[in-house]
Amino acid sequence: MGKNDHAAISAILAGDKEAYGALVIHHSQSLFRLAFRITGNEADAEDVVQEAFLRGYRKLDSFESRSDFGTWIYRIAVRCALDKIGGHPADEIGRVAGADDPEQDEVQVADGAAGPDRLLLSGEIAALQERALHNLTPAERTAFVLRHLEDRTIAEIASALGIEPNTAKQTVFRAVQKLRRCLAPLRVKI
Amino acid sequence: MKHLTEEELIECFYNKNKAANRASRHLEDCVACAEACAALESDLALFTPAEPPARDADYGARVWASLSGSLPRFEASKRRWPRISIWSGLSYAAACALLIACAFYAGRLWEHRQPPITAAKQSPSEAKQRVVLVLLGDHLDRSERLLVELKHADADSAEVVSPLRDEARSLLTANRICRQEVKQQDDPALAEALDRLETLLAELANPRGGLNAAALTRLQNEMNSNSLLFEVRILRSRIPDQQPAENSRSKGGTI
Repeated sequence: MGKNDHAAISAILAGDKEAYGALVIHHSQSLFRLAFRITGNEADAEDVVQEAFLRGYRKLDSFESRSDFGTWIYRIAVRCALDKIGGHPADEIGRVAGADDPEQDEVQVADGAAGPDRLLLSGEIAALQERALHNLTPAERTAFVLRHLEDRTIAEIASALGIEPNTAKQTVFRAVQKLRRCLAPLRVKI
Repeated sequence: MKHLTEEELIECFYNKNKAANRASRHLEDCVACAEACAALESDLALFTPAEPPARDADYGARVWASLSGSLPRFEASKRRWPRISIWSGLSYAAACALLIACAFYAGRLWEHRQPPITAAKQSPSEAKQRVVLVLLGDHLDRSERLLVELKHADADSAEVVSPLRDEARSLLTANRICRQEVKQQDDPALAEALDRLETLLAELANPRGGLNAAALTRLQNEMNSNSLLFEVRILRSRIPDQQPAENSRSKGGTI
């Protein structure tokens, strides 16, 4: 698709706006998947996809022909998703205690003694995961998603977030440390 | 044995498929770190990539449909840029032209407001007076030099006589012009001095019987007796100094 992408970009820059449709159709699914993992919300993910393609079109004349359009629009989508979740305060609904306050990391999970129902526990785990992810800063959450779920390298994460590789590495470390602290109560229960 | 830090464990976890490094070798030997790594894997395993809600095959087309209306054609946008740059260029050029015109006009105004400093701005009579003073000053300078040379001239030296006579002839004409000008003004002292100077110059220029030693001595005595040289110096000092460098040179020559 690389050659096709470049041909489409050439056509767009020559005035054929409709050629951008092919690029949108081809990359929408992957961008939606990424956006959903970062935002955790279907509606936000769709907004991110649209915003990414819109920004991509506006910057298309600065696109370097030797680059891969998929990687390029992926980076734009990461920025859009980061902007999106950056708008949500970290202490939103369901936020667990802050990482700087370890004593409050004792998340109140349903006591196993109330009924060791595996289904219930599974639901609690999912809820706790979600809260743990919400406890991260937007940059930490994005870096973790890219590293852990999208299997991106530190260099790719740094490029997508526009930061130094070492900073990206530290961001991933901080995210994992925070998540593990939040999950500590589960270790006892499982 | 130094155990791995949490950061090293995390790095090791994410790079476990890579070539074995120091951390992975350590994990093979250290039970405690291997357990810590297993706990880490267990925790992170909870964060499995959840499958996003499925999008149907038309999702991309829907995204495009929602975007296409708001995207400008690149050709059109490219055309718009030069137009903007032309307009901005013209604006800059107009602003520069206006600035230059204002500066020019301000310069003209400034120039007109300056006090008149040229001779052309003076009245004709003042200008004439000024010219006369310059000529008179110059004439008195030359006359003073001639009188000094005459005073110290060696009567027996024929080499001195001829330049003195030539200079006297030249000064005689100038003296007549100056005397006529001075007569129109109310300055009897200057007029009288120029009269006596003219008499001396006439005798020096055209001496009866030639300019010999006797004639020269007689003229020297005549000049000394009526203090003509002193009087010329006094008169010269009354005239406003127009050429200080030349005046100082002439004064220096008299001493």
